[in-house]
Amino acid sequence: MNSKEYISSGMIESYVLGLLSAEENLEMERACAEYPEIKAAREAFELLVEEQAMENAKPAPRELKQKIAAELFSDFESAPVIPVSSSPVRDRSPKTFRWLRYAAAASFILLVGSLWWNMNLKNENREIKAQLEDFNNRLAQAEQDARVIQGSNKIAILAGTAFSPQSSATVYWDTTSHDVYLLVNNLPIPASDEQYQLWALLDGKPIDMGVFEITQKPLQLYRMKNAQAAQAFAITLEKKGGSPTPTLEKIVVLGNL
Amino acid sequence: MNSTSKYSEQELIVLLKEQSNEGFNYLYDNYSGALFTIINQVVADKDIASDVLQEVFVNIWRKINLYDATKGRIFTWMLNIARNAAIDKVRSKGFIINLKNQPISDNVNAVITASVQPETCDVGLKKVLMKLKEEYRTLIDLSYFQGFTHEEISKMLGIPLGTVKTRIRTALSQLRILIQ
Repeated sequence: MNSKEYISSGMIESYVLGLLSAEENLEMERACAEYPEIKAAREAFELLVEEQAMENAKPAPRELKQKIAAELFSDFESAPVIPVSSSPVRDRSPKTFRWLRYAAAASFILLVGSLWWNMNLKNENREIKAQLEDFNNRLAQAEQDARVIQGSNKIAILAGTAFSPQSSATVYWDTTSHDVYLLVNNLPIPASDEQYQLWALLDGKPIDMGVFEITQKPLQLYRMKNAQAAQAFAITLEKKGGSPTPTLEKIVVLGNL
Repeated sequence: MNSTSKYSEQELIVLLKEQSNEGFNYLYDNYSGALFTIINQVVADKDIASDVLQEVFVNIWRKINLYDATKGRIFTWMLNIARNAAIDKVRSKGFIINLKNQPISDNVNAVITASVQPETCDVGLKKVLMKLKEEYRTLIDLSYFQGFTHEEISKMLGIPLGTVKTRIRTALSQLRILIQ
């Protein structure tokens, strides 16, 4: 039989599927060793069967892996879980020492594991603490803001001027403590070299109440300088740092108390 | 299939010979399904098939040093261990006694067609098998899935031994074309 006839005879398939007699198996092995093309045909069919089997594989029952692993690794003598070099000296060591080694290895792994876990918990704890502090600060601020608005005796609604018609702000003035709070309802963000300045007007004279920055906080309530008395309030746009006297053509909002 | 494999054939063999946990995990995760399926094609009962699979893994694990790469791929070797174990189980005394509790006809024709019924042949080789001509299908089923020797088949079907052999070979070379 030449190798071509051999390949089409079905012998190769029978061999791969384990259907030949012991004698025929030997014959196939000899043929494979002698003729590379027969070996190649055998390997091609093997791959075909493997692909077929893999493609059609249904999963084995889940719990089986544990069960088999338990059987394979229960006997340390023949199948160590951790590969250790099995020199003859070591093999003669008493069984208890082998156990000690495994126990030591296991407890080391446990130790490393628990340290790692601990560290994770600590980091998490720190994060939560920082978050809590942040929330507490924000809550205190909100409570204070609410008290200011609630406790103020006098309110001045500042409306936009021709210079900035869309602008508006509110001043809360506590007549007993003389605290002045400014709530920005709507003010455009000024140019980077400019800043808003609040003025109190008393008998036609402006009194500087301080400059402020527009920030991103949800309630834009700012504490300004105290005012003993005032009839009206105004905000002007000044150069950064404020001016001793207001730039009158740049009044953005104005309102009586 | 090969593109998703983490290890090459040689690497897998080395891992198995080292008897490492990693080797077992890889072996099981990649091949348990295919081996279970082939066993399940011979042994229909899932629980018994599971027992056989366990036995097969233990055998692969303990006999890896007997594997000879010049004789074929590692999967071929494992597949044959699985198939032989499954057939041994079906032919074992305990299994036959078990089956006697169930109503089963002992006439030869029933045996012959038993494992090629359409509902059990929806996977793998059996699916391909269904495409063969009837006379070939029976022969492959008897020899491959039921593990009868050529002599036994010759007696069962009343066909000369030589004819059984040639027909099985012809059937198998057709099988290859069908798989491709």
